[in-house]
Amino acid sequence: MNRATDRYYKFDWATIILFVALMLFGLFNIASASQGGEALDWTDFSKPYTKQLVFIVLSVVLIILLLSLESKFYERFSSIIYVISMLSLVGLFIFGKNVNGATSWYGIGGMTLQPSEFAKAATALAIAKYISDLNTDIKHLKHQFNLVLILVIPALLIVLQKDAGSALVYGSFAFVLYREGLPQNYLHSVFLLIIVAIISLKFGVIAAGLSAVLIIAAKFFMNGKKKNRNKIAKILGISLIYVGIAFAVNYTFNELLPPHQKDRITIWLSLEKDPEKLERMKKLEAYNLNESEKAISSGGFSGKGFLEGTRTTGNFVPEQHTDYIFSTVGEEWGFLGSTAVVIVFVLLMLRILFLAEKQKNSFSRIYGYAVASILFFHFLINIGMVMGLIPTIGIPLPLFSYGGSGLWGFTILVFIFIKLDSNRINEW
Amino acid sequence: MAVQEKGILNRLYFVAGCMFIFGIAVVFKLFSIQFIQGDKYREMADKRDIKEMVIPANRGNVYSSNGNLLATSIPKYDIRFDALASSNKNFEKHIKGLSDSLSVYFGKPSSYYTQKLRKERKNKSRYLLLARNIGYSQYLRFRSFPLLNLGAYKGGLIVEQSTKREYPLGVVAQRTIGYERKDEAGNVTRPGIDGAFGESYLKGKDGLRLKQKIGKGQWKPIVDYDHVEPVDGYDVYTTIDVNIQDIAHHALLEQLEYYEAEHGCVVVMDVKTGEIKAIANLGRTSTNTYYEKLNYAVGESHEPGSSFKLMALMVALEDKKIDTSTIVDTGRGKKHFYGRYITDSKTGGYGKISAARALEVSSNIGLATLIDDAYADNPQQFIDKLKSWHLNERLGVAIKGEGKPDIPQPGDKKWSRNALPSIAYGYNLRLTPLQTLAFYNAIANNGKMVKPRFIKEVKEHSKSIEKFDEMILVDQIASKETLDKIHEILKNTVERGTGSSLYSKYFSMAGKTGTTRVEYWKDGWEENPKYISSFTGYFPAENPKYSCIVVIHEPKVKKGFYGADVSGPVFKKVAQKIFTDTPIKEEIKSLNAETVQLTKDYNSYNDKARTYITIMPSVVGLPVMDAVALLENMGLKVVFNKTGRVKSQSISKGIKVKANQTIELEVS
Repeated sequence: MNRATDRYYKFDWATIILFVALMLFGLFNIASASQGGEALDWTDFSKPYTKQLVFIVLSVVLIILLLSLESKFYERFSSIIYVISMLSLVGLFIFGKNVNGATSWYGIGGMTLQPSEFAKAATALAIAKYISDLNTDIKHLKHQFNLVLILVIPALLIVLQKDAGSALVYGSFAFVLYREGLPQNYLHSVFLLIIVAIISLKFGVIAAGLSAVLIIAAKFFMNGKKKNRNKIAKILGISLIYVGIAFAVNYTFNELLPPHQKDRITIWLSLEKDPEKLERMKKLEAYNLNESEKAISSGGFSGKGFLEGTRTTGNFVPEQHTDYIFSTVGEEWGFLGSTAVVIVFVLLMLRILFLAEKQKNSFSRIYGYAVASILFFHFLINIGMVMGLIPTIGIPLPLFSYGGSGLWGFTILVFIFIKLDSNRINEW
Repeated sequence: MAVQEKGILNRLYFVAGCMFIFGIAVVFKLFSIQFIQGDKYREMADKRDIKEMVIPANRGNVYSSNGNLLATSIPKYDIRFDALASSNKNFEKHIKGLSDSLSVYFGKPSSYYTQKLRKERKNKSRYLLLARNIGYSQYLRFRSFPLLNLGAYKGGLIVEQSTKREYPLGVVAQRTIGYERKDEAGNVTRPGIDGAFGESYLKGKDGLRLKQKIGKGQWKPIVDYDHVEPVDGYDVYTTIDVNIQDIAHHALLEQLEYYEAEHGCVVVMDVKTGEIKAIANLGRTSTNTYYEKLNYAVGESHEPGSSFKLMALMVALEDKKIDTSTIVDTGRGKKHFYGRYITDSKTGGYGKISAARALEVSSNIGLATLIDDAYADNPQQFIDKLKSWHLNERLGVAIKGEGKPDIPQPGDKKWSRNALPSIAYGYNLRLTPLQTLAFYNAIANNGKMVKPRFIKEVKEHSKSIEKFDEMILVDQIASKETLDKIHEILKNTVERGTGSSLYSKYFSMAGKTGTTRVEYWKDGWEENPKYISSFTGYFPAENPKYSCIVVIHEPKVKKGFYGADVSGPVFKKVAQKIFTDTPIKEEIKSLNAETVQLTKDYNSYNDKARTYITIMPSVVGLPVMDAVALLENMGLKVVFNKTGRVKSQSISKGIKVKANQTIELEVS
């Protein structure tokens, strides 16, 4: 076992390289988006890009710390880490600092920390620990309930701090549960729910009800090997539930949703019939998206070059160095650069996914799945938002967006897995 | 177990597939945004972010006939501060210096500014107003302050330039010089000379430049697009004489205030050329002050009253229907005409008097009888004569809004048997003061009727673009014989007629009073009579130089309402003051010691007038030593760095300067 004795070959260097590449490329884009029309000054620590550089240096320290810990530590202390993390979220209600309407930060000296960024890793550890427990049967309703509980606690705490976007990330654990054998019906139900909701908003409740009936019927007849006398009754029963859901979705959308969220969905699904009004709404409500799309579009095939993007350096896109960082890539590095970023992200996620599949220890495997899923979810929502594929939900692009907490959160998330992975040879 | 294993693997591939497919979807969307819909987005972006900015042309100046500024455009600056623009290092290094400079400039303690600047930086204020509407030299001062001298990006200096129209004379002749006013609906009104010659001369041509938005509120010129350079407007030299204008304005104002009149106007015209030397129009506000409300002289046509008797008499004289010696019986001051009475102002009447005397004393009955006797059978002949003098047409002056005269036509609905006698003493027709004046001016000009005009010359800097000469409306309105008679009558009117109270043995004037009833058809007029008092004439009576009309509407009747009492003194004052300014003055002065008072008046006036001369000239291009001598003679302090020719001056041409002000010259 030469490889086992050689410390450096234990770590999966492919993942590390992809990770570092994204982090550094992110830094350049932050620099471009936040230089504010001035020459870069890496000694001015009031600038976001210099701060990000500091965060990166600190995250290297963090990486060394994470890799030097015993890999068993994470499994053993996962419950405690989870509890501490949840307590840190609860503590926000007392000590939290309000930034932009969300009470998601602790102010420590001149710095702010966002515990919800760390809670993702903690929750991933807790989920991995619980599922990998030999006594847990994921097909069992009671255990399913406990799993949901582990996810709902942080999500709920974060929603209460008015940061709905971050809470949504916990939905990514659905992939993990699915991989670990959660009955397919759950997933199908959720997919159907999304489809019914969209059809209900776009084409009305009747169309939604009809399509629900059709889909459910198709599913029953496809699994038609088993004899089922009450097939029709079942189809109708389930369909009825979905019709109810369609009504509920419509009602929620029209009566309960805050106006700005309603507008976002209206724009996403083009629900407004009058094209002029829709265009006006887009300009008003989807201002960021509009500016971001224009910035990306202006990049063309190969982009305008580093620090050359007029829309980036001119601060056209609001929040560009945080949530809309991808538009900088689009403008300054063009189609080539953005595609490269997408490829690197997909490679990183798939690498983690397949590494996870190789794990002999189920804790490591489940954790790996969680890491990939969280990364994917962030990637999907952020890039989707920046390009108008999905409605506006404000969450950062992993490793790219400006912010210390986010960067460290993902560093912890990924490097715990790298540490776990490095130990897989010893696991039997 | 194998089945289980396979199911799990499928699930892995499903999850991995999702990620992969999403990656592909993103790339497709990217492709769509950047290539397929690229044009749409780029067009959207261009529309909002590239703008054709108008570079306004400098509007030309308006000068008086003797070269004093009446209206000019000067640049004004707003200075703002972007508290976030400077780096920490620069901000800390210069905050003390900047605070000190601001302290010296504004007079508040330096610590106040240090505190304020820090606070604004903390609040991320990017548009802090430091000074508004400052001149060029002050702007240069701000630009030299510490931190601000680092410029827009490093120092945070934001400069917004605007152009302001300034009127060195203030309200004097405001309505005639003109200005621009925007109402709430955005409609622009430009009265006076500014409006009349704005489009053609003053305006210039605005330039265009494409600018691209490079950030919030920042626009950068795109150099590789063609742009249009602005062309400055021409300067307009008006006929207005500042000195005469000043006299006319204040004489009118004084009289309006004394008589608490509704409004009034004075126009002074050069007899030979038709140049308007002064035009003052004052209307009363709700707070009983007066300002140039409307251009009454040009715009308001009304019944001229007695001043029209002159025209009526002239028609009859020209047609040889009567002579000045023709005797007319005015009776006892009340005469029956076609079912109504005409009265004279003198109770008891004038009895039998000559036609000339009838005009001198302004007898309504006299004129009505003379004209009715001569033209009752053929009123058209009478009206045609008036028309031959163009009294039924607008003069066609350049200033917008000229009032339309109205002379009735026999056979019209409005025409009755009473129309002719009414016209004879100035009712039943309408003229503007300027039209009346133009006619009297023709009499003064020995029959040559010239058009009143407001501009002399249009110049581009010192180069003449267009010169305006007199325009003749009627070559000879009447025979020399008639004119001589009329001259005599008008002179006598002042000497021993209705204008006798104005008579001065030191200088001669000729003119006709007018006291016109207003709204006499309304019930209750007798209890609350309203009049228009006027005086129209020229001076000196021999060899006239200026003609002048004074019209005052609705003076307080209790204080007086006769033309001679209300408007006459204004006329006299104007004539008297101008008189002292003419060569004739010297003769009279040598003859009469009593003109000392006049001269004194004139000198004090002249001192006042001289303040208008302290206007910054352009010294660009002069050898610097010449420029210094010139400017120091004006009482200015001059700062310059080397010898050579002046490249630019810190105080722009046309700006009013005070003694001891500092001017910086840049020398090439």
